[in-house]
Amino acid sequence: MIRPGIRRLFRLPPRGSQDPVADLEEEIRLHLELRAEQLEREGLPPEQAREAARRRFGPPDEARRTLREAARRRESRLRLREWLAGVRQDLRYALRTLGRSPGFTAVAVLTLALGIGANTAIFSVVNGVLLQPFPYPEADRIVTLWQHDRAAGVERDEVSAANLLDWRERSRSFSGMAAIEPYGLDFQGPEGPVTLDTWLVTEDFFRVMRVPALLGRTLGPADYLQSTRPVYEQGVPSLVLSHGVWRDRFGADPTVVGRTIRVDGSPATVVGVMPPGFQFPDGGSVWAPLAFGQDASRRGALRRGANYLQAVGRLRPGVTLEQARAELAGIAVQLGGEYPETNQHVGVTADPLPETLVGSVRPALLLLLGAVGLVLLIACANVANLLLARGARRQREFAVCAAIGAGRGRLLRQAMAESAVLAVLGAAGGLLLAWWSLRLIVRAAPSDLPRLDGVAIDPWVLLFALGACLLTTLLFGLAPALSLARPDLAASLSGAGRGATAGRRNRRLREGLVVGEIALALLLLVGAALVVRSFVALLQVDRGFRSERVLAVTVQAWSYFPDRAQRAAFVEEAIERMAALPGVEAVGMTSSLPLAESIGAEEAEFEIRGRAAPRTGEAPSAHAALITNGYLDALGIPLRRGRLFTPQDDADAPHVVLVNETMARRHWPGADPVGERLTIRFAGPPVEAEVVGVVGDVRHAGLDVEPEPALYFAYPQARTGAITFTLRTAGPPLALLGAVQGLIWEFNSSMPLADATTLDTLLAESLRSRRFSLFLLGGFAVLALLLATVGVYGLLSYAMRERVSEIGIRMAMGASAGDILRWAMRDGLRLIVAGLAAGVVAVVLLTRLLKSMLYGVGPGDPLALAAAMGLLAATALLATYLPARRASRVDPVDALRAG
Amino acid sequence: MPDALALVKGTLDVLVLKSLSWTPMHGFEITRWLEERSGRALEVNDSALYQALYRMEERGLIEAEWGVTENNRRARYYRITPAGKAQLETETAQFVRYAQTVMGILAAAPDPA
Repeated sequence: MIRPGIRRLFRLPPRGSQDPVADLEEEIRLHLELRAEQLEREGLPPEQAREAARRRFGPPDEARRTLREAARRRESRLRLREWLAGVRQDLRYALRTLGRSPGFTAVAVLTLALGIGANTAIFSVVNGVLLQPFPYPEADRIVTLWQHDRAAGVERDEVSAANLLDWRERSRSFSGMAAIEPYGLDFQGPEGPVTLDTWLVTEDFFRVMRVPALLGRTLGPADYLQSTRPVYEQGVPSLVLSHGVWRDRFGADPTVVGRTIRVDGSPATVVGVMPPGFQFPDGGSVWAPLAFGQDASRRGALRRGANYLQAVGRLRPGVTLEQARAELAGIAVQLGGEYPETNQHVGVTADPLPETLVGSVRPALLLLLGAVGLVLLIACANVANLLLARGARRQREFAVCAAIGAGRGRLLRQAMAESAVLAVLGAAGGLLLAWWSLRLIVRAAPSDLPRLDGVAIDPWVLLFALGACLLTTLLFGLAPALSLARPDLAASLSGAGRGATAGRRNRRLREGLVVGEIALALLLLVGAALVVRSFVALLQVDRGFRSERVLAVTVQAWSYFPDRAQRAAFVEEAIERMAALPGVEAVGMTSSLPLAESIGAEEAEFEIRGRAAPRTGEAPSAHAALITNGYLDALGIPLRRGRLFTPQDDADAPHVVLVNETMARRHWPGADPVGERLTIRFAGPPVEAEVVGVVGDVRHAGLDVEPEPALYFAYPQARTGAITFTLRTAGPPLALLGAVQGLIWEFNSSMPLADATTLDTLLAESLRSRRFSLFLLGGFAVLALLLATVGVYGLLSYAMRERVSEIGIRMAMGASAGDILRWAMRDGLRLIVAGLAAGVVAVVLLTRLLKSMLYGVGPGDPLALAAAMGLLAATALLATYLPARRASRVDPVDALRAG
Repeated sequence: MPDALALVKGTLDVLVLKSLSWTPMHGFEITRWLEERSGRALEVNDSALYQALYRMEERGLIEAEWGVTENNRRARYYRITPAGKAQLETETAQFVRYAQTVMGILAAAPDPA
């Protein structure tokens, strides 16, 4: 018998037969013949001998059937083993061939690693943020509720207590509905006083969220019995800690449950700790009971127009979201009829919780996934190109194999084995890259990207990487495999061996791939350029204030200085003392800091004296804040007309306000608002005030938001509790933080700083999301550019190497180096032009997808397009020039000899 | 000649392995070998033999390849593999122990009543 190894060496067909049943018949026939001969020898006549032989064999039909099955089974098993051995051999061979051309292998593996790695990293983010289940049982049955202010066009406005109570009472679609109020509790911790971000929640809250406590219990009815008076007056009786704050401020001490701590100057019992991952709403450290006590109505907390609550509810089993929405819409109409001044234009918006948490980022993330998918396609195209170019040279080798008798399937399998090895190596490298880049992404991601802590390399991500690996193998492995499967034997074997027709088809395919790459790279580059331009435009916009070296320190003084006069005195003296600190150039105070989260009331409604009273619900509104002059000074907000506040504008004097330019333009176009009188409703009963000055606009909500009308009160004359001191410093602002904190403690040693930051930090935070998009999109664009350049270079390199003999002939016929250079570059130029043209089409069609991310530029911005085209053309030309130059330097003698 | 013995179930495999332990043979040769070796006391069911052969081939105890007989006829030759040799040893030992045990009981004199 021929040893198995020898068979494989000569690539002889495997031992398995084509037709096991025919073989079986032959085997049995021989047996019967031999048996008949034996019986004949023993004396039987031939006829009888044959008969006897058949009888001897056994029951014919059954035997045949069983034998046939056995034969078939045996056959398939043998085939399988043969096939596996063949695959193993192919893989070993592939590794050997790849090892022999390390340069090619390195480029191919790196390209694949970049493509697969980028995709895996982005998919990890998409998986962690969008796809992973939420830690709340049946999270899609939990609904966040908002007021829909149709007059102002705000779909998700905070809710007023009165409305929420009516919704809860009148609707039957919810098994529970809870109110959530943001608050801050001053906690005397071991390192000093600190303000804990608190969510005051009504009784239904934990029932709606349905997540049990990790330690102890969640808030229960007993906790709500005790809190009949509002938090501002008596603190909270009990609270539940978040896992983060339990870990960070209580040292993960399990005995904390049941302990009494002091918050806001009163004792409170810690009744439980929530598990990690329970973070609703986002950004809170503790949950405490909220009860709408009788006294709350005095402070206007129950006032129907006071919108300051968030609301959440759980759908009753069997009720759909549509049904709930319809019911709430009906209730809103009822309320609109009963309370027309406040509710006439108020509807209800209900969002399922997953939508609230991640809905805003979903489109951006999916866009990212699309972009990175494009990059993977480019990477595959490149590797396919490289393989095709290589395959062209191995044409002869495969022709020989085919001549000996290797089947087409076998050749195909061998080519695929190489692709598979490359893909696996690329995927391994890609996973490494993804893991590393994921850490970067998580660190740089905007803080409002939700659920970032769930982003990691988990089994789903690994599965995705595997899928990407398989897909890429197919994509770039099939191309060369198919082109090899039909070798033109005669032509390949003879010297004319570039295989004329196969070579041409091959070439066309490769060129098409490169053109596609250039087009895709242009698309991504234009996208990145647009985002860059948006970013630059944003940075250059007139903010209306200066952010350099401004320290902003927020104190919640309400509980320490409950009396208005006391607060005013505190503010005045604090500013005086701060001004005396070395390095402080200007100090002021505001109740509302630009680009920061709002604390307390920030909107005022007003009527202008002497004008027709507006219809209910349509009173004009403006952003409102309490300030001192020092605030304007510290932030560099100029006075345009009239005067600033004076010490005479104190609590007993008539109210005065400053308005900003937008408000002046909108309500007194072409006229001077100084001297006009307004009736203003802001955090309290309406007051009359006189406009004494006009100040510059400030982009308060964000750099990309047009300034709203705004009015400013003098601090002593109105009342909220929010106090933010703004200090302009000569040196680094944070260096003064210690001194400022010490100064505040001189007033009251248990009064913490609720927040301390610089305006530059706030500015950077507000841009963080854009910067992140820039980082990602820019990264991908650069990647695409690199890949396209490599693609062009690779293609032309091989083309030149193939045409070496032609170069020799041209040189022999008198072409100069310059002629050769120009001739060589012509091909490349052709491709580049084609690619750019296709790219422009793609840009025109697809950049509109970016519209929501742009500022100050449209998707069709010509400058961005020109810049991208220029960059791409330049690098592609360089990639064309290098091989062309090498070709022009070729020694004509060598060239002719190589032909 | 006494009546031919029917094969005890399960012993065909080990007998076939033994037959192949010297040299490859095709199906009929194996039958003849067994018949002669047993002095014609064993009558092998031909179809059962081929089923046994295919079964053992699937399990990798024997290998098969088409070859040519002395008379230039195409025949399928079976050959024992190393795995088959190991199996032969184990089964032989087992069978001998079994036979000895049974013999021990059967050959014993009846107990004195």
